[in-house]
Amino acid sequence: MTVFDLWLQQAINGLSLGAMYALLALGFTLVYGILELINFAHFNIFMIGSFVAMWVLQSFGLSGQSVVLTGLPLVGVLLAALIASMLFAGVLGAAMERYALRPLRGITGPAAMITTIGISYILFNIVVLGIGADSKNFPNPLPPMKWHLGGPDGAVLELRQVLIWAVSIILMGGLWVFVQRSRMGKAMRATAQDPEAARMMGVEVDKVILIAFFLGSALAGAGGMIFGLYYNFTSFIIGFTAGLRAFTAAVLGGIGNVPGAMVGGVLIGLIEAFGGQLIGASWADVIIFSILVLVLVFKPTGLFGRLAPTKS
Amino acid sequence: MSELVARSPVGRMCRAYPEAWRQPTILLLLAAAALLFPIYHSNDADIDALANAFAFATLALGLNIVVGFAGLLDLGYAAFFAIGAYTYGVLNSFQLHPAWSDSWNFAQTLGLVAQMPGETGGEVVHFTLSFWIALPLAALVSAFFGVLFGFPTLRLRGDYLAIVTLGFGEIVPIIFRNWDSLTNGAAGLNGIAAPRFWGHSFGVDATPYYYVAVALVALLLFVSARLRDSRIGRAWMAIREDEIAAGAMGVNRVHYKLLAFATGAAFAGMTGVFYVAKLQTATPDMFVFNVSIMILVMVVFGGMGSIWGVVVGAMVLQLLQSWWLQDLTGWLNALGNLVGSNWLSHINLVPSIELIFGIILVVMMLYRREGLIPASSAPTGLTFEQQNATVNLAEQDIRLPGIGGTASSGAIALRVKGVTVRFGGLIALNAIDLEVPQGSVVAVIGPNGSGKSTLFNVMTGLVPAGGGSIRFHGDEILGLPDHAILKKGIARTFQNIRLFPTLSIMQNLLIGQHARLRTGALAAVLHPKWSRREEAAAQDWVREILKVFGNRLTPRIDQAVSGLSYANRRRTEIARALASRPKLLLLDEPTAGMNPAETLELAGQIKKLKELGLTVLLIEHKLDVVTTLADTVYVLDHGEVIAKGRPDEVRRDEEVLRAYLGRNTQAALAGGAEVGAHVA
Repeated sequence: MTVFDLWLQQAINGLSLGAMYALLALGFTLVYGILELINFAHFNIFMIGSFVAMWVLQSFGLSGQSVVLTGLPLVGVLLAALIASMLFAGVLGAAMERYALRPLRGITGPAAMITTIGISYILFNIVVLGIGADSKNFPNPLPPMKWHLGGPDGAVLELRQVLIWAVSIILMGGLWVFVQRSRMGKAMRATAQDPEAARMMGVEVDKVILIAFFLGSALAGAGGMIFGLYYNFTSFIIGFTAGLRAFTAAVLGGIGNVPGAMVGGVLIGLIEAFGGQLIGASWADVIIFSILVLVLVFKPTGLFGRLAPTKS
Repeated sequence: MSELVARSPVGRMCRAYPEAWRQPTILLLLAAAALLFPIYHSNDADIDALANAFAFATLALGLNIVVGFAGLLDLGYAAFFAIGAYTYGVLNSFQLHPAWSDSWNFAQTLGLVAQMPGETGGEVVHFTLSFWIALPLAALVSAFFGVLFGFPTLRLRGDYLAIVTLGFGEIVPIIFRNWDSLTNGAAGLNGIAAPRFWGHSFGVDATPYYYVAVALVALLLFVSARLRDSRIGRAWMAIREDEIAAGAMGVNRVHYKLLAFATGAAFAGMTGVFYVAKLQTATPDMFVFNVSIMILVMVVFGGMGSIWGVVVGAMVLQLLQSWWLQDLTGWLNALGNLVGSNWLSHINLVPSIELIFGIILVVMMLYRREGLIPASSAPTGLTFEQQNATVNLAEQDIRLPGIGGTASSGAIALRVKGVTVRFGGLIALNAIDLEVPQGSVVAVIGPNGSGKSTLFNVMTGLVPAGGGSIRFHGDEILGLPDHAILKKGIARTFQNIRLFPTLSIMQNLLIGQHARLRTGALAAVLHPKWSRREEAAAQDWVREILKVFGNRLTPRIDQAVSGLSYANRRRTEIARALASRPKLLLLDEPTAGMNPAETLELAGQIKKLKELGLTVLLIEHKLDVVTTLADTVYVLDHGEVIAKGRPDEVRRDEEVLRAYLGRNTQAALAGGAEVGAHVA
């Protein structure tokens, strides 16, 4: 591999990771935009999403890389897993909002955030106790199709990476259209600007918040499935690192800003890939986290701006 | 329930016991129990478990300073625990072994290093830092990192602070894992020597560690309690309750937030030394995110801000893990064997401890946010007598020495020149000129949005100016931070009352005196005589100031201000500003929301303050108040001074009429003598 091929390869890897981070970051941004709450449970809703996708794939008789599907069966199986993980994660997020966070609405201080930490911890430990602490093989039914860019020795683009991009772009595009065009999307934007005023204009704020949690969590569920497809494994531990990186992505793009979260996610994916290449993968978290601190200190509104995370 | 206890014979017995003796007696009993435990219960494993529980109690006390007192949610607290642990681990193990040279001789005579033969021949250095030196040293090192990590988070909102600290908590173990040469990587440091006391090594016996842990808890409880009840603790609580008001009352937020981080980190650093000395090993896995969360759970469970609460919370959760869950598992297994249930006879509850932690967090937040033992907070209710007391505003002999300053009457106290403030494209204040003579009352009036509050905000350092100058007794104050402006002698109230809601009137007014008191962290802990006298004088000053309002506030002095009536909260805010011994008092709509009688009463009290020598700058909508009080009136509109003069002059000014009533009504109200009533 030439240096150029190496960089091209990291760019491909980074974009795939970035797509996953972007999906996760959207959940942070949707909730923060409305409630100004960092939802720590989001980390592990993502993790559970990947387990749900794994179970669905296993229920079709798939395990490891033993079975390769093509054509309609492949699309059907993947779609079933995607929908199941998104639905499960979405309902989980919405239920958390309804039963654990809504009673705390209007209470100042860290109560709501501590609750999300508690729920995150509960989800995490349910998986550890119920499923085990070892990592699980994630079924990969994709045919091993790959394209060599720049000769047989060059960078490799795999089918699953193309698939990841396609799924992410469709989901993010759908969210964008929903937020910009639909009635509920308009209500959501209004609530993010001023919940009181929105309520007085007849917006059902509680419903808007519930839907924001549902959508954000559903995207995290999709992200969980993408994680499994990309790394071929899943584990109780994946939520923490991926979540922290995705949160950094949301801050980098300007928290509360939907396109910002998408761009931020892609940037963080690229930074992880290139940074890991340059400095060593064991330092990736240090690099990404340093970015979080630097952005918060020097450009608290992120690249594209929206809600400022500093005190006014 | 508590009613029943109170009425029982035990309750009666307790009440018969003199109140002043109760707390010392309980403390004595607890101390005796803690000291005697290893003597009447010689099971080494149990003593060890208790020593661990005490270690976590010290961690919970440290985190409580950051989270409970100062309200800064720290999710990476274990980082400081790790830093303390590694400080001792590296300096008392074989990890670093530079070649021996004569420059180490001095350190050797101090006992910090020893000479030993190296693996590859030649002599090398063996670090042998004493446990007892390591305790304060690690406290200092951790405090340094507390400041370092705290610094970038200072401007962040609470929730961002949480995630940034979480990140630091994540990074520190990564660094320890990757920095092989210093820390031996994931395998960790080994061969850390046991502490020695008068030549005797602690060895592997749990008892000496137990006593060190008891001493640490006692020390840190004492320090926490002293800090909480001092000027330092009040400054932390002020920041927790309302940062803007804290700054306006003279609390240097940067300083006190960093102090909270440093103090909390120092506690953790000491505990780290203890913990590593006891285990004689240190690995990065001992300090991961879960540990930070566990300590947070202890604080939340026990009661944020409650020092006894967090100690009890830590002990209960630690012993739940090391004793009770195991006992329960044993019982369930026995029961399973008895009834022949395979599931029950093999169940193990111990690993579910973290699940229990998560459930505790959620349940506490939903149903008992103040924790197991709530921090003693001021009562919010009033007794029947207090509610029905006759208002007594009888003139008392009030003298408030130090208020108003010593400058001669008539000199210009405050001179605002050409001050401009822009918010984006909007010009909120445009080249404002304003003068406040010493000893006078100057009023600023103007329609809503004319820039009155912005004027106050720029004078008190809340809003930066785009140009101009503000001189207070000759000193430029534009560009000074809010707490420094208060120290110069300008105190303010806010249009929408910003008190410290869960604190009492007394505490609110003591925070008002923050800038005038000298007690620092060390004096707060050691309580020298001068500091005790200062505190007593500060409390006398509070009672003196409350006399301004007759018996409105005095009977409620220990009540939480959140439970006061609206008018009393306004009065408390003015009293809090007065507590800082201001030369100039800025009142932002002091009578807003008050009924006519209360308005009249307050106007009289402001007049009284003026007679006592205080200079007052007043924003007010009620023109009758302005007319009775003000010597000079400035009228603001669209960020500009459109009129200035005596109240009666201003009332007839055509510009003013236009600003208030619009162009067309002006003709109808020719002469305009009646404007006042309408404008209000």
